[in-house]
Amino acid sequence: MARNGLVPAPGMPWRLVTVVGLLLILAACVVGRLVLIQVVDQERGAAFLREQGAMRAVRSAEIPAYRGMMTDRRGEPLAISTPVITLWADPHKLGDSNRLGVLADALGQSETDLKQRLDLYSGKRFMYLARHQTPEFARRVLGLKIAGVGGKREYRRFYPAGEVASQIIGLTNVDGEGIAGLEKAYENVLHGRVGQKRYIKDLHGDAIRDVGVVRDARPGQAVALAIDLRLQYLQHRELQRAIVETGAEAGAAVTVDAWTGEILAMTNHPVFNPNSRAAFDYAATRNRVVTDAFEPGSTIKPLTLVAALETGAFTLDSIIDTSPGRIRVGRKVLPDPSNYGAITVSRVIEKSSQVGVTKMAQAMGHEPILSVYRRFGLGEPSSIGFPGERSGSLPNRDRWSEIEKVTLAFGYGLTATPLQLAQAYAIFANQGRRVPLTLLKREAGEYVPGEPVIAPEIASQVLTVLHRVTGSEGTARKARVPGFSVGGKTGTVHKVGPSGYLPDQYLALFVGVAPMDNPRYVTAVVIDRPLGDSYGGGAAAAPVYARITDGVLRLRNQRPDIDTEVPAQLASSGAGQ
Amino acid sequence: MMSLRWGMPLLIVAVLASCLAIIYSTHSARAYYADLQRIEGTHWYLQEDYSRLMLERSTLASPHRIAKMARDELVMGTPDLAAYRTIVERVY
Repeated sequence: MARNGLVPAPGMPWRLVTVVGLLLILAACVVGRLVLIQVVDQERGAAFLREQGAMRAVRSAEIPAYRGMMTDRRGEPLAISTPVITLWADPHKLGDSNRLGVLADALGQSETDLKQRLDLYSGKRFMYLARHQTPEFARRVLGLKIAGVGGKREYRRFYPAGEVASQIIGLTNVDGEGIAGLEKAYENVLHGRVGQKRYIKDLHGDAIRDVGVVRDARPGQAVALAIDLRLQYLQHRELQRAIVETGAEAGAAVTVDAWTGEILAMTNHPVFNPNSRAAFDYAATRNRVVTDAFEPGSTIKPLTLVAALETGAFTLDSIIDTSPGRIRVGRKVLPDPSNYGAITVSRVIEKSSQVGVTKMAQAMGHEPILSVYRRFGLGEPSSIGFPGERSGSLPNRDRWSEIEKVTLAFGYGLTATPLQLAQAYAIFANQGRRVPLTLLKREAGEYVPGEPVIAPEIASQVLTVLHRVTGSEGTARKARVPGFSVGGKTGTVHKVGPSGYLPDQYLALFVGVAPMDNPRYVTAVVIDRPLGDSYGGGAAAAPVYARITDGVLRLRNQRPDIDTEVPAQLASSGAGQ
Repeated sequence: MMSLRWGMPLLIVAVLASCLAIIYSTHSARAYYADLQRIEGTHWYLQEDYSRLMLERSTLASPHRIAKMARDELVMGTPDLAAYRTIVERVY
């Protein structure tokens, strides 16, 4: 009785010794293993186990970054990101929910559709229910507290100006990356840095709590454009109106502040609505002002005039005999609309006489003309950095035929974009200095370096001629703006088809400068394939220029030429009469 | 011998103090993080409001709408040249 397991029986100590020894060995094993795992660094040690634990419980999520706003020069928003909520579901959990009907109602979808989609995703753990919903709507759905339905914060881009500035601003894709226009060009600036946070989830995959921010989200920067939304709207309206009136296929217009190089407005037809992807036409996203290069035709003649004046062989008053109203060059005969007789160089440009320009070109050769074209920025991309911008082309030949030398002088055999034409004319308005164009707003008083490319006297002589083009003898009487004197040059160009020039399809062009007493605003207008008899630059494009310029001068507070000045005091007392 | 006599208690006090400091800093980190999340939430709501109001404003102030209202409701038009008055600020 006295014997039990705890009291060593005399003569039998080995049993106890064995048991205690075994227990000690076991304990040592456990401690040893612990030391191995916790202290000694080995392959499947502490780090490994911690990682395994985290893999099962810790998840990381993106913190969306706010995409920078784009505004016009006066701070009006042109592209703005708004917070939205994307609703998603876990089909695994939602699949056999008895509240599918309620959810479908709240989403405005039919229950059968929802069920079908859930079946389609039955093996998955994630499915979009509705992307980019307004927060109010999403909160109403989330407020139902249906298991397996979640919300994710995202941003959606809105374009308040809609189609009016659609091609300049461009687009972002559904993930918020710029894919066209300035959204693409300034992606690096606009796009913030997406942050990352870590959270702990429970067995069901629901987040329990955030454990920390791995990388904070940094919002993108705002971009202020040189565009003035009021001018943009005005230009858009006038261009649309012209397209309707002329029955044209397409059109483009651009207005530039020659002094600062800022692009104040830039519009195209056809347009698209950037806020709706339902009816989306990729062709309409093209910003023709920078992507369409065409032969500039007669609008290039002022540059030829520069070359002629620079040689010193011609002045504005040199006489050129254009009779009998046509001239043979090689195998081609170049006609004028009528026989102008002996006219001055100035009148040659005013009338846009092919014979006159041909004679000038033959007298000086093509080299001086090409030199002027190059200095005016033709054949090279402008400085605006717009995606898809074309640089046009200048001919580069070893041997020039007689007709090639001549056609170069009146704008065939080279291509230019409307923006390049505007840039070239801006040099006239800028006393011969070439200021780099920009789509970004310049700070008030910012020094704009301009590179002198022609003598100021020649620029001013060309302006005189451009003004005369809108005079009673010129081709662009319809470009006149009431109350202001303007100048410009028309162009009517044959469109090019797959097999040469198309006989009855034209581009109507006008590029103009205003106001003449203090030239500053340059506008180029292109009407693509106007129908009917009024297909020429003077008939189809010049009136559009006039209406745009009228608005530009008014909105930019230019003083009309006519004498309407009143002292400030008088104006404040009785201006309403 | 001084170090042996006082060393041990000092060490224990230091260890205890650092324990408390760790507890305190962990707690405050949590509190700050909770604050951050709350502020981020507020930020999100404010941004919602801000963007909505910006959009509303630009819809109301769209040149198209202004032009239409000026023309139709206020019967305004572009003045003809005779009605132009240029106001010149003179420095006296």
